[in-house]
Amino acid sequence: MFVARRLVLAHFWLAFAGFAGAIVLGEWQMYVRSPLHAWLDNPEHYYRSVTVHGTVMAYVLPTLVAMGLGYALSELALKRPLAGLRWAWAGFWLVLVGTLMAAAAMASGHASVLYTFYPPMIASPFFYIGIVLVVVGSWIWVALMSINLRAWRKENPGAAVPLAMFGNVAGAYLWAWTSVGAAIEILVLILPVALGFKDTIDAGLARVFFSWTLHAIVYFWLMPTYIAFYTLVPRAIGGRLYSDTMGRVAFVLFLVFSMPIGIHHLFADPQIGAGFKFVHAAMTAMVSVPTLLTVFTIVASVEIAGRMRGGKGAFGWIRTLPWENPMMLAVAFSFVMLGFGGAGGLINMSYQLNESVHNTQWVTGHFHLIFGGAIVIMYFMIAYELWPQLTACAPLPARLVRVQLWLWFVGMMVLTMPWHYVGILGMPRRMAYYDFTAPALQAQAWTVTVSAVGGAMLVVSALVFLYVLAAARRGAMSPEPFTFSLAAHPVGRVPPLLNGYALWVSMMIALTVVNYGFPIAQLAVLKETSVPAIPMGLR
Amino acid sequence: MSAARWSIAALVVLTVVSFAVGFAWLPSAHEDFTAKGLWDAICRAAGVPQKWSGGAPAPATHSTRVVLDASMQRPQAQEAIGRGATLALNCTMCHGPRGLSQANAPNLAGQYPEVIIKQLMDYRSGDRANSIMQALAVNLSDANIRDLAAYFTYLPKPRNAPVTDMSIVPALVRVGDPMRNVAPCAACHGGIERKPGAPWLEGMPKEYLVQQLAAFAAGQRHNDSHGQMRNMARNLTPQQIDDVAGFYARHGEGEEQK
Repeated sequence: MFVARRLVLAHFWLAFAGFAGAIVLGEWQMYVRSPLHAWLDNPEHYYRSVTVHGTVMAYVLPTLVAMGLGYALSELALKRPLAGLRWAWAGFWLVLVGTLMAAAAMASGHASVLYTFYPPMIASPFFYIGIVLVVVGSWIWVALMSINLRAWRKENPGAAVPLAMFGNVAGAYLWAWTSVGAAIEILVLILPVALGFKDTIDAGLARVFFSWTLHAIVYFWLMPTYIAFYTLVPRAIGGRLYSDTMGRVAFVLFLVFSMPIGIHHLFADPQIGAGFKFVHAAMTAMVSVPTLLTVFTIVASVEIAGRMRGGKGAFGWIRTLPWENPMMLAVAFSFVMLGFGGAGGLINMSYQLNESVHNTQWVTGHFHLIFGGAIVIMYFMIAYELWPQLTACAPLPARLVRVQLWLWFVGMMVLTMPWHYVGILGMPRRMAYYDFTAPALQAQAWTVTVSAVGGAMLVVSALVFLYVLAAARRGAMSPEPFTFSLAAHPVGRVPPLLNGYALWVSMMIALTVVNYGFPIAQLAVLKETSVPAIPMGLR
Repeated sequence: MSAARWSIAALVVLTVVSFAVGFAWLPSAHEDFTAKGLWDAICRAAGVPQKWSGGAPAPATHSTRVVLDASMQRPQAQEAIGRGATLALNCTMCHGPRGLSQANAPNLAGQYPEVIIKQLMDYRSGDRANSIMQALAVNLSDANIRDLAAYFTYLPKPRNAPVTDMSIVPALVRVGDPMRNVAPCAACHGGIERKPGAPWLEGMPKEYLVQQLAAFAAGQRHNDSHGQMRNMARNLTPQQIDDVAGFYARHGEGEEQK
């Protein structure tokens, strides 16, 4: 790397520091709701904790990891110093200040609105302004990724953009457009109320704007993981990437289809018509295409590794895979969790099936398995992969890393499987306590205890993760040059369509207009949709 | 560029088919949607507001006409408090000279302004029934009501001794009764959260609280918008009502004897 080392390290450390705090809160939440603990005297404490946990895990951690990884990839994949280093630092400080502002509002009990901050709940303005600063900081990153790619293109006219950078910039553009929904919601609808200029709010419209962000943000979280699948995994386990083109197709499909589908979060909302709900459900199904393409390509890439190591027959290659290699372990765990989580996701997105799991613990189980499991386990691997580049440390202790990955995988399964089960039984999510003395609930009490045990394993795993990073001896050796996966067939000329974004970004915006235009316009025009705002927090 | 054309064509086909299914085909399977023809079905699928009740008359009884707004909660000028103090001379017989009742009428001292405004307006319009209060409220103007609210808000609140031992707080106040859909009292009446329109309860006479909860449960009192209190009170046992009323009243009685 050239100039971005400290920048990337700052992003990662801030991300993981927040992660460490938020994961302890998550486990506390599981513990106090379980039969192991008496009911909380003040349920507000629970919601305060959930708000911090969600806000840090959903906004701060993935945004910083994506930004840090983006800066690193810009130098490692394009092999040129990062342009706009000062701006990048400015973005980092904005994220830091925004995080601290939101954290102060949440910690003082003036923003217990959960990370989805659905109106008519209204928090302290500092909470929203903090989130806006985080988003603005990340927009600087988006601009820098675009500028760096353009500069590289000028120096390498017509050359194929390295796959890692291609995915990275796709993620940046996706995020730029995705974050617009919540930005409009906060700036136009919420802040005037939070600042006291208005005391009613169009809650339905606000939810529609939030859904614009809420689903595509998941694919923004996912991008670093997919970049790792395509460009790190095959190299790390000694194989070849089965197809470079497939990676590009997957990235651009995410760009097109992850955006105009968010109304599947609003299936139970009366202000949206059934027709739009169906269209969003149908397009959500399309997101499984790039996901399945990726699963196929990465499994094929892993198979190449197995066969290169002498594996024979239909399944013999699985035995010869380098299972002692943490990356092998991580990608296998990630796929198992992606499989269960993805199958659950198909149920969530089905307009009819959703009814049976809507707002139950099933949903909590689903997104913890996908995000906390499949995605975050690859964030760990990204940090482990980049650490020697960033700190010039000695090789990380593989044994400890494997223990950490195992703990994360088992902990996440133990945490989320009971949630899925009781979700089907109808246990609602976001409850500060459950009355286990009621005969109807008594039989479900054990599941909450099991989840709390799973959560404890995750806390231990997170601590091991931080220990491995912190204990790495800085400057012990100069890092080897960083490499990305080689494709099985050398990448020659890439079709121009898969070497740029113009068509795909246009499609993304056009589909958004088609799928969101009418519901937004209608709710904005209707007079009867405003409701009294409900300020949340201590008073 | 044929690849680009193919991509665009595929996306257009996907979009058109999804919309055709969602807006025409699926609604056609549902009588509600198709009763008034295709265009109506499409409008419904798009979420255009429809009149479902077919113009049925509004129910004869309603809960309240008062819409709470933030201006009711703002502090008023000194003059308003002074005018309110004069008007309040009418109230002293039952509500006490300083807003603390010795007659099992509710305490008004320190009560939130929007609470007093709403209740007086409901008495005036007949949405809350009480032979004495309705007769008194009918002559009050909006300005009178705001002045009275300003005065009573200005008086010091009766406060219970701070709770140090949480075990004396009834479960209903702290955590509610979730299996019967009863929210904790403290979630609206202060302690955990304070919601506009929810009165200050500490120090209220126990008899008054018991009587009002019973009236809510029976539906005799119905000026709570959206039945907020009726839905809570209906699900309470007499024992729970007694515990809760006793808890909120517990120091009010002591203060009166001072």
